[in-house]
Amino acid sequence: MLTKLAGGRIYDPAQGRDGEVGDLFVRDGRIVADPGTEPDETIDLSGKVVMAGAIDIHSHIAGGKVNLARLLMAEEHRAEPVTAEGLCRCGGGVATPSTHVTGCRYAQMGYTAAFEPAMLASNARHAHLEMADIPLIDTGGYLVLGNDDLFLELLASGAGEAAIADYVGWMLTATRSLAVKSVNPGGINAFKYNQRKLDVDAVGPFHAITPRRILAALAAAVRRLGVPHPLHLHGFNLGVPGNVEATLDSIAAVDGLPLHLTHVQFHAYGTEGDRRFSSAATQIAEMVNRTPTLSIDVGQIMFGQTVTASADTMAQMGNAGHAHPKKWAVMDIECDAGCGVVPFRYRDKAFVNALQWAIGLELFLLVTDPWRIFLTTDHPNGAPFTSYPELIRLLMDRDYRLAKLAELHPDVPAHCILPSLAREYTLGEIATMTRAAPARSLGLKDRGHLGPGAAADVVVYTDRPDRRAMFETPDLVFKDGRLIVRDGVMVALAAGRTHVVEPGHDPAIEAWIDRRFEARMGQKLAHFRISADEIRDGDGLVRHDCRPGAF
Amino acid sequence: MATHCDVVCPFCGLGCDDLTVEEDAGRLAVRSTDCPVARERFGHTPPAEPPRVGGRPASFDDAVRAAAEILWTSRAPLVAGLGTDVAGVRAALALAERVGAVVDHERSEGLYRNLAVFQRSGWIATTFAELRNRCDLLLVVGPDPAALHPRFYERWVVPPPALQAPALREVVFLCGEPLETTRAALGEVPFTVIPGDATQIGAVAAALSTALTDPTGAAPGIAGLAERLRAAHYAVVAWAAAGFPGAHADLAVERLVRLVQDVNRQTRCAGLPLAGYDNVVGANQVCTWQLGVPLRTSLAGGAPRHDPHRFAWERFQHAADAVLWISAFRPEMPAFATGKAVVALAQPGTAFAAEPAVVIPVGTPGIDHAAHVFRGDSIVALRTGHLIDRGLPDVAAVLSAITAALPQEASC
Repeated sequence: MLTKLAGGRIYDPAQGRDGEVGDLFVRDGRIVADPGTEPDETIDLSGKVVMAGAIDIHSHIAGGKVNLARLLMAEEHRAEPVTAEGLCRCGGGVATPSTHVTGCRYAQMGYTAAFEPAMLASNARHAHLEMADIPLIDTGGYLVLGNDDLFLELLASGAGEAAIADYVGWMLTATRSLAVKSVNPGGINAFKYNQRKLDVDAVGPFHAITPRRILAALAAAVRRLGVPHPLHLHGFNLGVPGNVEATLDSIAAVDGLPLHLTHVQFHAYGTEGDRRFSSAATQIAEMVNRTPTLSIDVGQIMFGQTVTASADTMAQMGNAGHAHPKKWAVMDIECDAGCGVVPFRYRDKAFVNALQWAIGLELFLLVTDPWRIFLTTDHPNGAPFTSYPELIRLLMDRDYRLAKLAELHPDVPAHCILPSLAREYTLGEIATMTRAAPARSLGLKDRGHLGPGAAADVVVYTDRPDRRAMFETPDLVFKDGRLIVRDGVMVALAAGRTHVVEPGHDPAIEAWIDRRFEARMGQKLAHFRISADEIRDGDGLVRHDCRPGAF
Repeated sequence: MATHCDVVCPFCGLGCDDLTVEEDAGRLAVRSTDCPVARERFGHTPPAEPPRVGGRPASFDDAVRAAAEILWTSRAPLVAGLGTDVAGVRAALALAERVGAVVDHERSEGLYRNLAVFQRSGWIATTFAELRNRCDLLLVVGPDPAALHPRFYERWVVPPPALQAPALREVVFLCGEPLETTRAALGEVPFTVIPGDATQIGAVAAALSTALTDPTGAAPGIAGLAERLRAAHYAVVAWAAAGFPGAHADLAVERLVRLVQDVNRQTRCAGLPLAGYDNVVGANQVCTWQLGVPLRTSLAGGAPRHDPHRFAWERFQHAADAVLWISAFRPEMPAFATGKAVVALAQPGTAFAAEPAVVIPVGTPGIDHAAHVFRGDSIVALRTGHLIDRGLPDVAAVLSAITAALPQEASC
């Protein structure tokens, strides 16, 4: 079956197309070059905007902490049940939607992939079981390393770069992960020894290693293994005024190796001004602009009730006093990492929250290369992913942005440079930061673009001046060539896939890991390892190439 | 005769995965441990039986059709027991959504004493490997959890804490006596017993909290324990709420959770709420991710409504006119009021107080088929092996067949 998507304005930055009118051809779920034959079906897209399916590079959609957040957000689920309707199964939630609701809401916004950025090795099987229950979108997980006692012990033992890389490669493969994440490297582990703060160059408890060493070792391992996505770093001192210094330190720590700084809005705070809380977006953006090996996602906050869920127990314990409603959970997990869940309400009339909002937007507007900055709210930590269309409008419409700014705490404009930033994102730049760039960063060769061979994840929009309305409700969404959404209504269900890497490594490391599992973990290594047939019942695993030394 | 090594045990939630199980002519025997739960459950593998409808042997298809008819015509169905693996729970929720049922797990009462507190206030908790490797002071509160989780001490408490310096641990039993088997299992691990009334756990925990900052007026045992908690590097407070006596046991749990938070103001301390029989934790996890709310939820009306009181199966069974009961882990089933239409997915050899309308024998996860189950500390999911073939269908397959046999139009 050959389908022709005819005459749309195609925004496909990976192919250098910026709104030129053209045709797309879809056969067997893939984009193909014009075969020169009569299509079986032609869909007229004249005047419509056409993009690849959007990709969320950082969204907490599955796993233990997400389920804990759902449990803790009992009020939200009581208030916002979702009734089964047509193809959509029941569920509920806004900040912590249930699995089916997650898939449907993403798909209805034109997203065809979202990646869980904090999968703990010990919880990976759970995360995969849960991700398999999210329909319509592709998923994958980033493995959290750098607080696991095994890694810290290996590093402290003086193991060389090769052995470290072997460990990382083995763990990525065993847990069916796509990338390596590190969360407050060393800090989560230190919290288990009652340290409430750990600076980049402070020697941690027990293993006696500095976060700087952990960071450098992980970044080097990722490069050595050739994992496409750089080390995905949740940095130090999240949410603490003045943490910009630690953020810049962590960039320096990897010494020029590729690095992705995630939800950097939460790590871009200074201590200037009468309130000792200021925007350091300019410093961060300048660093990003002059460092081509660096990418970021923003973690924009939007106002309203949400819940923060993070592996960063050290930071979450520190933030627990801000919980709204007043309840929170912290868990130490399995000599691996942890999780902290703190409900939070961002208030537009609160100076700190309003400035956080402005800092996020400043980062978006000051970083010049849309290939190295990704659109995220760190769902649900800054806001639910369903606020993306509103965020896109803020980026594309300066008048709207200024009108919103005027509604906030009155001291905010004087404490930031947002009023002076005239930039408005173009459709091409939005397509880059939500499609082409995340796909390239993750190494998903056949996603995020519309060239021949790509998966036919295609989204069709009506070009409306109200960009929120435009991006909220695409006209058509195709997943692997199949029409799944028409005018916001699900018309077909499709299963997603799970994207992984299996980097080459010396299997001899397994004996070392096995001895420690036997001695400590109360679990056999053979049972820890997730076999390929466990992922989506053996149907839907997509392996991506690693290219050692290819940066 | 065959020997299965490193077998995963799915029954009590401790997640033991080191069993040696011998197979002889379709019968299994655990050789590597005296754990009574493992020995009994693996040891119960009677041959497959045919399904029954109205007490008479029936074909699988007839039984499935009869079950679908009962559930479809029911005005207030209950889908419970849920003693099954992750795939079985998924299938149960899909069926419950179609027929508008209330869902719950047979063992959810113990879990709910903890979850009620979690939903009200949150907590600071930990997992088994943290206990084993970092805990230097374990405080066991209430009746000994080993009664429900026999190898708890052997696997998670006796090995010295490798990630703590010095690698030493002591155990304190509060408001509960250690079992004889526990005393034997602990061996060289020093332990003390602070006796107390298990119905007074909440008050004792509150007294401990107070004594952390103001020991004057505290009983000597309590003041001394408060001091030890303050001096510990990583204390773990463990309890099995299922064994707490008396009404409102969740209030006792709430005090324990508060105690853990209070100790954390100065040092590290974490709670370990033990639960997990028959994959109740897995059932709760799947329910929470699929519905947004935990067990004890009604799907009547098309949207989930969670009410831990009203939709507890023991209460709702009185309102239900049909019950689908799933018990793949144990040959046991509660007695339901006469006249109730009961569909049982049960192990072969299950003794019924009254013959259900439909009985469909099912295989046991971890014995008859590979399965995903959750450990009781809620983080680790395990995949069990598949040891023997008795020709029994798994729960997910039966439930999917029942769902497929329902009329295609929406139920409401």
